[in-house]
Amino acid sequence: MADTPVAPARSVEPAGPDQSSVRAGGFSERTLARLFIAPSIILMALVALFPVVYAFILSLNEYTRRQHVGFAGLQNYADALTDGRFWESLRFTLVFTVTSVGAEFLIGLGFALIMNQAFRGRGITRAAILIPWVIPTVIAAQMWFFMFNVTPGFINNVFGLGNFNWLGQQGWATFAVIFADVWKTSPFVALLLLAGLQTIPGDLYESAMTDGANALQRLWYITLPLLRPAILVALLFRTVEALRVYDLPQVMTGGAFNTESLSILVQQYVVRTPNPGYGAALSTLSFVIILGVGLVFVSMLGRQLVIGRTTER
Amino acid sequence: MSDVTQEATATQTTGRQGPVKARSGGRTWARTGLLVIVLFWCLFPFFWLIMTSLKLGDRALNSPDLFQGPFGLDNYASVFEQNFHLNLRNSLAIAGMTTIICIVIGSLAGYALARLPMKRKILLLSGVLAVSLFPPVALVPPLYEAWRTLGLLNTWEGLYLPYTAFTLPLTIFILTAFYASIPRELEEAARVDGATPFQAFYKVIFPLAAPGVFAAAIIIFVTAWNEFLLANTFAPRNPEIAQTVPVAIAAFTGQVEFQRPVGIITAACVVVVIPMIIVALLFQRRIVAGLTSGGLKG
Repeated sequence: MADTPVAPARSVEPAGPDQSSVRAGGFSERTLARLFIAPSIILMALVALFPVVYAFILSLNEYTRRQHVGFAGLQNYADALTDGRFWESLRFTLVFTVTSVGAEFLIGLGFALIMNQAFRGRGITRAAILIPWVIPTVIAAQMWFFMFNVTPGFINNVFGLGNFNWLGQQGWATFAVIFADVWKTSPFVALLLLAGLQTIPGDLYESAMTDGANALQRLWYITLPLLRPAILVALLFRTVEALRVYDLPQVMTGGAFNTESLSILVQQYVVRTPNPGYGAALSTLSFVIILGVGLVFVSMLGRQLVIGRTTER
Repeated sequence: MSDVTQEATATQTTGRQGPVKARSGGRTWARTGLLVIVLFWCLFPFFWLIMTSLKLGDRALNSPDLFQGPFGLDNYASVFEQNFHLNLRNSLAIAGMTTIICIVIGSLAGYALARLPMKRKILLLSGVLAVSLFPPVALVPPLYEAWRTLGLLNTWEGLYLPYTAFTLPLTIFILTAFYASIPRELEEAARVDGATPFQAFYKVIFPLAAPGVFAAAIIIFVTAWNEFLLANTFAPRNPEIAQTVPVAIAAFTGQVEFQRPVGIITAACVVVVIPMIIVALLFQRRIVAGLTSGGLKG
């Protein structure tokens, strides 16, 4: 994306005799296209692309509490890569991503199949399924914090667990954070997969049934292969989202008990223990890791992801 | 679907209406019954939330029993004593600005990508897709330094500018899809009647894309309203200035330090959640259409 052409703001003046000029007086189509696309590109370049470059420059310098000390070369990166805390947060982020996206996919697929085969009540369920998606993650985090917490101890009471301290020990704290994420996003995955399911023609199932295929065979040989594009898109966006995780562990555990994500770690070096150089080195590393995973997915999906959007519809 | 046909053929061939009908009726109910699982999953925590927010006093609030009283509205009064209405104002302003800028800039770009001739269109779309994969945390250290120099920390601008940049890719994808779905003949007819390309856009196409624009607007607003990482970094305190709703909900403190006030937090959550649920229910179809047509984001 670095070579995305920043649309030149030139030729804004009254359109000269251009090849594709349709009428005198208005802008030609090509000029109009440039004019229309320019604000988006300028804004994204200034507020998204420029900071990434600036972060790299910051990361090459040494600071003591926001005071610039001097050029540091790659020292910040060496420090980060030998810092156990970085690897620990990377491990949590990856564990979180793999387990939560996996669980969300299975539960979301289940919900989508349930909704797809129901006659009545589909509308209301589809509305209800939006609700966990629409509320702020911070609210979901506070809700599940209190449900898992020892007081009032709602979950412990339901399962008769006494004073089991979910959020105060390693392992179970990770479980609680993942559970909250699965609760919030499985319905969303279901929504995306349901949209995919509804594009599968019903007569495929009918002919499979006359051929004697049972429900499991129909799922495996018809539904899943035809659902593949929807599944891949859902997995791509969920994976990229999950790698960014910040809200849930920040609110539920504050990053304690091995639930510190990459985002929490970077944010620490900006506010709590300010060190712009080291923080920027960590953010650049996170950027490379997360964007890298995203690009792997995109290349798996192929160009259809980009092209299909504009040509199919 | 398949049940209906099965039933129809069964009645035709055998003529035994009774048992077949009863059986497939039962299956319909079983299928509807499965929906209850989905509904329970999505809605039960909100029941817990509302019940807890209405409880009064330590004894009730610390009890796992949902029906342990006394009940009342005092928690809601405390929420607004802590200036929560100012947080709501900040979030409305920031998410509102994000939505307006995104829609204006994004519909221009979406139209250009869907309809106008352009060199390197695929490259541009790939660039937009790449920006949508950017992790926001990559911006936290550099933007913090930049905002500190420019005096944008603790301001509305300091938040809605990055929000706009981050939601723009999604906006462009949704709107490109919607513009592309409008029949091209309409535009050509406008041209034949003597409209310039720009007139064709804002007099014919833009009004027709209104449902898509509306869906995109809701999705952008919700995304900006819910954002926490940048808000918590660039404006962590001061409801009077720019602290947003999620930051406030994460930061509520009780009388005893290190103990989160259950009542106040759940009440604040309910205040935020109820209008959002209403919006989700009212505009369900539009939101779903937007989310599934133009790419997606959790």
